[in-house]
Amino acid sequence: MAAAATTMVSSAGGLLAMLNESNPSLKLHALSLLNAFVDHFWPEISTSVPIIESLYEDEEFDQRQLAALLVSKVFYYLVELNDSLSYALGAGPLFDVSEESDYVHTLLAKAIDEYASLKSKAAEPNEAVKMDPRLEAIVERMLDKCILDGRYQQAIGMAIECRRLDKLEEAITRSDNIHATLSYCINISHSYVNLREYRQEVLRLLVKVYQKLPSPDYLSICQCLMLLDEPEGVSSILEKLLRSENKDDALLAFQIAFDLVENEHQAFLLNVKNLLSGPKSHPSESGQDGNGAASEDVQMADGTQAVNQIVQEADPNEATYAERLTKIKGILSGETSIQLTLQFLYSHNKSDLLILKTIKQSVEMRNSVCHSATIYANAIMHAGTTVDTFLRENLDWLSRATNWAKFSATAGLGVIHRGHLQQGRSLMAPYLPQSGAGGGGSPYSEGGALYALGLIHANHGEGLGLAALGTADEDVYDDIKNVLYTDSAVAGEAAGISMGLLMVGTATLTVYGREEEADTLIEQMTRDQDPILRYGGMYALALAYSGTANNKAIRQLLHFAVSDVNNDVRRTAVLALGFVLYSDPEQTPRIVSLLSESYNPHVRYGAALAVGISCAGTGLSEAISLLEPLTSDVVDFVRQGALIAMAMVMVQISEASDSRVGAFRRQLEKIILDKHEDTMSKMGAILASGILDAGGRNVTIKLLSRTKHDKITAVVGLAVFSQFWYWYPLIYFISLSFSPAAFIGLNYDLKIPRFEFLSHAKPSLFEYPRPTTVPTTTSAVKLPTAVLSISAKAKARATKKEADQKAIAEKSAGPESSAGSNTGKGKSTSDKDGDSMQVDSPAPEKKAEPEPAFEILTNPARVVPSQEKVIKFLEESRYVPIKLAPSGFVLVKDLRPTEPEVLSLTDAPSSTGSATSGSATGQQGSASAAAMAVDEEPQPPQPFEYTS
Amino acid sequence: MDPKLTEVSQQFERFKAAFIRNDFDTCERLLSQLKVSLTQFRSLPPLFVDTPNATHELTLARDIYEHAVVLSVKIEDQEAFERDFFQLKPYYTDARGRLPPSAQEYPILGLNLLRLLVQNRIAEFHTELELLSATALENLCIKHAVELEQSFMEGAYNRVLSARQTVPHETYVYFMDLLAKTVRDEIAGCSEKAYDSLSINDARRILLFPSDQELFEYIKEDHPEWEIKNGYVIFQRAKESAPCKEIPSLQLINQTLSYARELERIV
Repeated sequence: MAAAATTMVSSAGGLLAMLNESNPSLKLHALSLLNAFVDHFWPEISTSVPIIESLYEDEEFDQRQLAALLVSKVFYYLVELNDSLSYALGAGPLFDVSEESDYVHTLLAKAIDEYASLKSKAAEPNEAVKMDPRLEAIVERMLDKCILDGRYQQAIGMAIECRRLDKLEEAITRSDNIHATLSYCINISHSYVNLREYRQEVLRLLVKVYQKLPSPDYLSICQCLMLLDEPEGVSSILEKLLRSENKDDALLAFQIAFDLVENEHQAFLLNVKNLLSGPKSHPSESGQDGNGAASEDVQMADGTQAVNQIVQEADPNEATYAERLTKIKGILSGETSIQLTLQFLYSHNKSDLLILKTIKQSVEMRNSVCHSATIYANAIMHAGTTVDTFLRENLDWLSRATNWAKFSATAGLGVIHRGHLQQGRSLMAPYLPQSGAGGGGSPYSEGGALYALGLIHANHGEGLGLAALGTADEDVYDDIKNVLYTDSAVAGEAAGISMGLLMVGTATLTVYGREEEADTLIEQMTRDQDPILRYGGMYALALAYSGTANNKAIRQLLHFAVSDVNNDVRRTAVLALGFVLYSDPEQTPRIVSLLSESYNPHVRYGAALAVGISCAGTGLSEAISLLEPLTSDVVDFVRQGALIAMAMVMVQISEASDSRVGAFRRQLEKIILDKHEDTMSKMGAILASGILDAGGRNVTIKLLSRTKHDKITAVVGLAVFSQFWYWYPLIYFISLSFSPAAFIGLNYDLKIPRFEFLSHAKPSLFEYPRPTTVPTTTSAVKLPTAVLSISAKAKARATKKEADQKAIAEKSAGPESSAGSNTGKGKSTSDKDGDSMQVDSPAPEKKAEPEPAFEILTNPARVVPSQEKVIKFLEESRYVPIKLAPSGFVLVKDLRPTEPEVLSLTDAPSSTGSATSGSATGQQGSASAAAMAVDEEPQPPQPFEYTS
Repeated sequence: MDPKLTEVSQQFERFKAAFIRNDFDTCERLLSQLKVSLTQFRSLPPLFVDTPNATHELTLARDIYEHAVVLSVKIEDQEAFERDFFQLKPYYTDARGRLPPSAQEYPILGLNLLRLLVQNRIAEFHTELELLSATALENLCIKHAVELEQSFMEGAYNRVLSARQTVPHETYVYFMDLLAKTVRDEIAGCSEKAYDSLSINDARRILLFPSDQELFEYIKEDHPEWEIKNGYVIFQRAKESAPCKEIPSLQLINQTLSYARELERIV
């Protein structure tokens, strides 16, 4: 071959002639030479293919395989890949899979494709496929070679593609880094295995492999088991870990529980919880006199159960197990994480009341749409923070709300207090219909209150997974039913809608994540004459294939988006694309970019929201570029959709990382202040500013959990939100998709210890948006002076109030000195920013200093999604995380357990006392928060006296 | 000297001896062995590995194949001729710079041209011609073949037949005979179409036979369907065997017109 490069014969004629010689050794000689020169002479050889073929078919010729290989190569050059492949199979071992040539690569790809398609055909029940053993042999050779060469990822990919689970297992177990390979495997099985059943098979295998390992990675196993919906496996693992002597195992169990909760798979969690066997109970119950730690934990889980489970101290092992069990049940029920989130959101609340004030000032009083939009914005901004200051301060303004506005105002309270489980009921009590009496308040507010209650409890699965969506609570459900029996028409309607939501939950859940299995139902719905049913079909399609980026679904949706006669259906079809693609946000702008230029405003609107949904919280540059022109569309509702979508995309993106965020904020301000702007887009702008600062600037919209699983509640919440077109209060459902952008480290007691870690990036990149302050130029220019003075006054009032609160806090924290110091520290971070709110000077001062390249964060800290990759744990830190995750709930191991722990944000003994006393404020932020919650919170709702 | 080469050379000597003796069976047997032996030499095309004896080996191989070609003519085996010629060809084209030119080159190229002419593969004939250099075209052997082709194309069949007497090389005779046969077949084919019958005398002249006897033999062998009657050769039967099909033009025209009418009605 090497020599051939120097001198080349001009023709293969001689060799071809030699093929006709009668002596077989001459034929062989010619064949092997032709084989070597086929790359150059294939055109000449192709005319003689029949001769070579006859050699291959000649039973007596002993080099038939060589002939086959030669023919295969010629066919390859003629781009007759099927023929080429079949002759390559005839070539048997001569077809060298390790050869680095285009021919081999192409044919291997072809062979694997062929094999994979045959295999998947064979997997179908009523199809008998005869597999060519030679084809199988080639693929196996390829797989073996990849494994031998250490290219495990390639081998895994092929094995999965070809449904060769045996080879997959081999590849995994033989790889040098089994854990890494396994996680790679899980990843690709999510992103590339489209068939649900097969994916489950793969996962089952992975679990099997995991379990065989000497040190199993329980975190991943449990994730897999969750996908497989096998609560038994998870519960047995958890139990094993909990029963272990080692404290670390217990920590691991807690971590697993948190991870599972994050995926919001209610029914599964419930099953796991129920399957966890209780400790071996002793007949002699010593009940209440359990040690302090136990009683402290009791209040975290279901009280009754826990009390029964406290076991004699005589059996220390069982006692620890019982203690751990109650903890883990608390976690699995979602209460622990909800509480912690609440604490975090409350303590880190950075929402900017001034923005709301500006909005309030600028909207016309008589315009009820904008009025209620402001209320929505407020609710969204403060979602989950329990800070309802704005509502309290503007009661008279609020009281102008009538009818449905009242409804939404009340419901807004629900959003604000989301996750505030224990107090939810008492908080809403004044508005709930009094049993029997028919209630004195407006039916609207009653309805709203019910709705609010539903939102508060949303995603806290007491009942079935279904109930968790609309109402979450059997009690609430009963309440709603009761209301239905009362005469009040309006409340009845609200309740009806709640029931309807429940139904939505049922309908979507029946198809949710079912992929292929839902096809027939979807097919029926989409074929229907009635546009409403087709519309429903679009949603069914969106949810059934949510996050799968399934090509078939996309094609179908695109088809409807351009061909349906009904505007609603078209809009929804485009919008649904967002749901189907949210696991792959980069794709969405590309797919809908043409649709966003459609002549039909409904399609443009859908395109905007689709981008908003799938790129939510990513700050994706293409998404922003796509939305930008839409925000100044000619049609008002397109502007509205674009503004909302833009806010969804930009949530938690700082101005430093994308300058367009700032521009967008200014644009919003301008729209809100512009007297001539349409109501629709104004409403959009108001909502957008609400979403932009959602949850006290500490939450982001997330449809995927950290392990890339779908978050059911979030997806459904957003799906319902996207229907606000029909009923504005549905806007509140967006709060279901909020998840805190935070790192929260927890110790063994599920408390938040104080420790520091590093964010290796300029602080300004991820900092909170500066609060709009009086001296900022934009507001100074744009706002009339009158507004300024009012806002300044309001500000002064706010400061004063805060000071008051602090005084109260200090008073309540006074008695115990240790707690005092703790709270002081814990509050310090939020205090610092509080200062900047009070005094305007810190901002300019900051600018003067050169910016450091990193930032020390204190647990718990706000970590925005884009910041996650720069988070590092300090090496000499006292706490070591169990799982290396940059955000979310992470359990940490205490390396110096003897030293006293400094807790941040956590209750001091005093609040423990109050907690055990039954008011269940529990882990209510710092002492001051606890005090506030106890002393102040429950009362204020009365002021919502509506004078109708 | 390389022992392998020596062996092959000795074998070749034996072949040549048998060749001179006109012992063609031995020749064929030896040639087959020789060809197999040649596959061991890596200096031969298409590999052209630069071994120490490359020139020697190439020359020997060329010699062997030249003899093989001539042998195939002698045993009147056209397929073997083609096979051997193609294997020989790289020695004239690609190996040209590596070994001294062969005296046999042009006669053999001319032979090949002649063969193509005989087999009526005119296209290939011209392809080969294009590959030859201007000096090659001057060569008598090549010129002979080219002139023959021209006469053949012009229909100057008598010139083709008379060229047999002026062959530049003894091996050409075989192909010239074949060519005469080809020419005669052409003429016979034309006569069949052109005439119903011909007098034996005319037929003999047209078919360029020196004697009636040869004419009769030819008819007996190649055209048994011709009849010889009353001093005439009658072609009629051949005509009947190939009846000319009439094109149903009227019917087609009618059909087309009706389609057009109906189409117009539909639209």
